[in-house]
Amino acid sequence: MVCAGIDAGSRAIKVALMDSKGGKMLGSGVADQGVEQEALARRLFEDVLARAGIARNRVSRIVATGYGRNNVGFADTTITEITCHAVGVRHLVPDAMTIIEIGGQDSKLIRLNSRGAVQDFAMNDRCAAGTGCFLEMVARRLGISLSDLGQLAARSTKAAAISSMCAVFAETEIVGLLASGTAPEDIVAGVMTAVASRVAAMAGRTILPPVVFTGGVALIPRMAEALASVLKHPVSLSPEPQLTGAVGAAILASRK
Amino acid sequence: MSQCCGKPPVEPKPTDPCKPPEPAVCGGSPAAAGAAECPLTYFRRMIPNCLAYAKAARQQGRPIVGIMCEYAPRELIMAAGGVPVCLCGGANETIPAAEEILPSTLCPLIKSTFGYHVLKSNPFLEMADLVVAETTCDGKKKMFELMAESRPTYTLELPQKENDADARAHWAAEIRKFKRELEIRFGRPITHEALRKAIAVMNRERRLRRELAALMKASPPPLTGRELLDFKSSISGIPEDYEQYEKALRMLREKRPCPSLASRVRVLLTGVPLVHGAERVLDIIEGHGGLVVCQENCTGLKPILEDVELNGGDPLDALAEKYYRIPCSVHTANERRMESLRNLAREYQAQCVLELIWQACLTYDIESHRVKRLAEQELGLPYLRIETDYSPSDSARIAVRVEALCETVRQR
Repeated sequence: MVCAGIDAGSRAIKVALMDSKGGKMLGSGVADQGVEQEALARRLFEDVLARAGIARNRVSRIVATGYGRNNVGFADTTITEITCHAVGVRHLVPDAMTIIEIGGQDSKLIRLNSRGAVQDFAMNDRCAAGTGCFLEMVARRLGISLSDLGQLAARSTKAAAISSMCAVFAETEIVGLLASGTAPEDIVAGVMTAVASRVAAMAGRTILPPVVFTGGVALIPRMAEALASVLKHPVSLSPEPQLTGAVGAAILASRK
Repeated sequence: MSQCCGKPPVEPKPTDPCKPPEPAVCGGSPAAAGAAECPLTYFRRMIPNCLAYAKAARQQGRPIVGIMCEYAPRELIMAAGGVPVCLCGGANETIPAAEEILPSTLCPLIKSTFGYHVLKSNPFLEMADLVVAETTCDGKKKMFELMAESRPTYTLELPQKENDADARAHWAAEIRKFKRELEIRFGRPITHEALRKAIAVMNRERRLRRELAALMKASPPPLTGRELLDFKSSISGIPEDYEQYEKALRMLREKRPCPSLASRVRVLLTGVPLVHGAERVLDIIEGHGGLVVCQENCTGLKPILEDVELNGGDPLDALAEKYYRIPCSVHTANERRMESLRNLAREYQAQCVLELIWQACLTYDIESHRVKRLAEQELGLPYLRIETDYSPSDSARIAVRVEALCETVRQR
């Protein structure tokens, strides 16, 4: 039996197919999010099925998650991304106790109990600081690609202080730093520290290790290091960080 | 019409007791058959009802007195012949007008109220012969200073220290001063007899609303949290309201509970009040798997849990005692609120605690840390804090948190 998880995020749609017995991933795919959310999700789903050589009628259940979950009309049910990331990360990293997930439009901190169920969670979503689109803005400002941010940050010797917690004001601040001759690598390093501080504020003082970092922003090199240095805890990268929500959704689809 | 048993894709069957043509409280009750009007339908016209009542009272020469805090002793206003009206603003639309004067980083309740003042668009405020300016927080206190430039206001200073004889004595003195103010302003003495009568009226109102709230202890209860909230009136002491409360109690006690409400997660809602027009978060909770079985806030049980205990003593002192005990976050250390939360979580079989904080409500915001600790560590219940204002921009994001909270409860 095959179960599917569809994570319709703000920036990307992710699909995972899981073998409901062995919990093995049978196929996966990622596509950019757009206007026609349902059609995009369906196309990606069919594409992933075709590549995995699995007929549509072998998929017994589909769970949709992510902010666009209610637009995935062909899903059997929806479950929030908080529960899905918890299940997905715990499947890939069985001893995870704290999950940091940074996506396109929000960041989450999820604490698990010893059974792997959600103990509590905090979300930052009232402003862009501490999210993927904040980093996108910075990359755009500096004229580089999102994936090059990490390499650039690695060259930094002195991270710039970014004090604005509002993405709009932070952009103004970055323009000012560039004008005053601050090196782009120091700006990027400063921005990463600012994003990490935002997440640390959600965590409060209670961080239970192991800490696992997931979500699309985890694909950006150096972000995990920035988080670890602010949290003062080792932070490991989840395998398949962009897919943990979809994996969790697929596993939850097989449980019912 | 009713939110009870509302799963949109399922078409209601005509015989479904959860989908009556009338609001849920009116359905499935033999008493409803042939009854003139369902009490919930009556309370859905709460604002026009109150407006008609206030206009009629005014024509009879009764003063209209605006209040913004549950500490304002409505009994004194009623004993002075006046009509106490809640002026708390719940509209997002009036906030831009307020922000021309007030800082944007102020709680939406104060801004909305002040916006009505600037726009002169709250008919109750326009009718008010006096506005009681309670010092519930610094925001209100300073806002009232500006309102006082063009409206008659009277500052009522709230006590801050809990279980403190001097604070209690000062509060009793404030009540006596307020009584004198009302007597002088409206030109008639407040007799002990009138005060005792007003106390009896308000005790009856509190008892009726308490009994309605207590129906939520059942699992499943006969109504939703939103329906219960709709039973709140902006004006106290309207005789027709009391008749409707009694009728609602009779009908709801006979009504079969909605089976679909049984699968909802029982939420203890605490924090700031959901004044008329600002019910959005409650609707989100109940639209995403939750059922607000108890409201520990000023539009819920907080101000009505205790009555004014006369016991033949001085009615003014009895008033002071009752209001001194309201567990508002203006109090320090407000242990009574923690005690109340403990009791209510147990009595109402809460499965989680959800705290609503209006943005920039400093006292409730800071106190939320203690409520979280109480919920998680002492009561063993999941806790979720939602900080928002009156703008609907974050509704989808609040919904995700509520859904995740419900999933967390169900996973336990």
